[in-house]
Amino acid sequence: MTPGRPGTSGAATTPEPGTPGGRGRRLVPAYLATGGRERPRGTADFDRLTVLVSTDQQPPEMDFGPEHRRLWTLLRPGALTVVECAAHLGLPVSATVFLAADLVGGGHLLARSPVPKAEAIDRTLIERLLVGLRALP
Amino acid sequence: MLFAFIGVLLAAVVGGIWSGLRHVRDAQLVRMARTTVQTAEVRAKNADEQLRIAIEELRFLAADRIPAAVLALTHEHAPVPGLLHPQEANATLAKAMRDVLSATSAAAAGERDRVDAAARAAMRGATAKVQSLLYQTQSVLQDLQHELDDPRLLELDFRNELALRRIQATAVLCEAWPGLARSDSPLAEVVIGAQSRVAGYARIKMSNHLREQRLAVVARAAEPLAIAVAELLANATSYSHPDTAVPVTIQQSGGRGALIVVDDGGIGMDEETLARARRLLAGPEVLLLTELGNPPQAGFAVVGRLVRQYGFSCHVESSPYGGVRAMLRVPAELLTVLDEEHTLSVLVPAPAETAAPARPAEDPADDGPVVEATPLPSRRRRSPRTAAARPVAPVPPAAEAPVARTPEQAGALWGALQDGTRSGRSAAGSGTAVGTTSGRTAAGGSAAGDEQGDDRS
Repeated sequence: MTPGRPGTSGAATTPEPGTPGGRGRRLVPAYLATGGRERPRGTADFDRLTVLVSTDQQPPEMDFGPEHRRLWTLLRPGALTVVECAAHLGLPVSATVFLAADLVGGGHLLARSPVPKAEAIDRTLIERLLVGLRALP
Repeated sequence: MLFAFIGVLLAAVVGGIWSGLRHVRDAQLVRMARTTVQTAEVRAKNADEQLRIAIEELRFLAADRIPAAVLALTHEHAPVPGLLHPQEANATLAKAMRDVLSATSAAAAGERDRVDAAARAAMRGATAKVQSLLYQTQSVLQDLQHELDDPRLLELDFRNELALRRIQATAVLCEAWPGLARSDSPLAEVVIGAQSRVAGYARIKMSNHLREQRLAVVARAAEPLAIAVAELLANATSYSHPDTAVPVTIQQSGGRGALIVVDDGGIGMDEETLARARRLLAGPEVLLLTELGNPPQAGFAVVGRLVRQYGFSCHVESSPYGGVRAMLRVPAELLTVLDEEHTLSVLVPAPAETAAPARPAEDPADDGPVVEATPLPSRRRRSPRTAAARPVAPVPPAAEAPVARTPEQAGALWGALQDGTRSGRSAAGSGTAVGTTSGRTAAGGSAAGDEQGDDRS
């Protein structure tokens, strides 16, 4: 029995700088939050800036995992955007969307699409207006 | 004349006697010769018979006994037939053939060990390389997950993890090092991490009965334990119906160790299979790839090897759920407790308040109220969402207004906002202090509400 030396597997041994806390390679992957599904529940389209608000309906333990309850509890004090929730939970946005969609589907959260950005103003139009104003007698 | 007559007579008499005597001797000789011939015939016949038997035995040896003896090397219950004619066969011949048989077995066993060791070495080299590549893929995928919001990246990460588990298990079977150094890792995270490596992970329901949530596995045993638990979980999920849950319980045992119990409601194992599983789980000294069957059933063998190397112990028995219960015990010397600043992943189930260390949870749903037992150590908002005293929030108020809110509530909220800004303007320094204090009080009230909710549920 000759176990390989720790140095033999090259990149596998070096700690990953990108992992949270710099504690080496991740142990708990984010895809666990999907519960094995390919798409989030429902048809709602979640954006990074979609605002989430919790309702007073606490998610029941039977149907939801610990991560759902953490998200709901996180939103108890007030609204947060999806990307903020993701940062608090330490999950990628894509995984957080799964949780949010589940809770929205069960009536435990409300989601609001982000305020759309104002239409970009046509610069040439403004310039022409400026020229026109200056040209006024 | 007379003399002549007498002489003739005498001669005749003597000749008669002599010839009579000769006749008798001849008859004796003939008899003796006949006996000799008969003996020789019997001997020759016996020799022919012996030769026939020897040839038959040799043919039998080549055709049946040697293959059976070689088969018995891998299948210990396979019978090795004896001589065809044990009564008639020559004792020396029988012994010589026994020697042939044992020499053949020994040669075959030696060659098998050599070939198996060569195969393991070749696989070890290949798995190390593939494992390293898969880890690189994992790193890239993780970076991508934080940059892009495509859920397919999560799916891809999962596929990668499945491949990684296979490779790691193979590497362990080939006596390689598990290929990943971890720091001290929380036991609950190790088990959840193992869960994520299994195809049917959504069916696995973990209940956390640890008294000490920061109970961790020491660095050198963290990854091996994750591999072992992943194999047990993979067995449980693949041998049970896809609609059934696979309950996993983690708990602290009496002797400062920890226990991981995996149940399944599957088809179970008969006594013989259980015995084989226990033999593999005990960590046999030599484990040959050729012993794993076709297709290879590596799960218990992998666990057994890790058990032997790292000092866990594992036991399988019939489960009250109908299938198999696997119990993996982690001894106290492989456990430690992390310091306070270590935060657990949000995906780890919160501990059950009704700790039942003596028995594993029979009902996977019975893990008690959960919400606030391990508070998430992330930055929380100080001010709860109450209409009375809401300071100006960083998020624009319009974005905060939930859809289901009566006009009266909305009016009260805006009124409160105006009050707040007005008081803030009038008393420049004290405004924030007022907001914070009231926020704290209200937060306490909300926590009390949560506790009531716990009791109910």
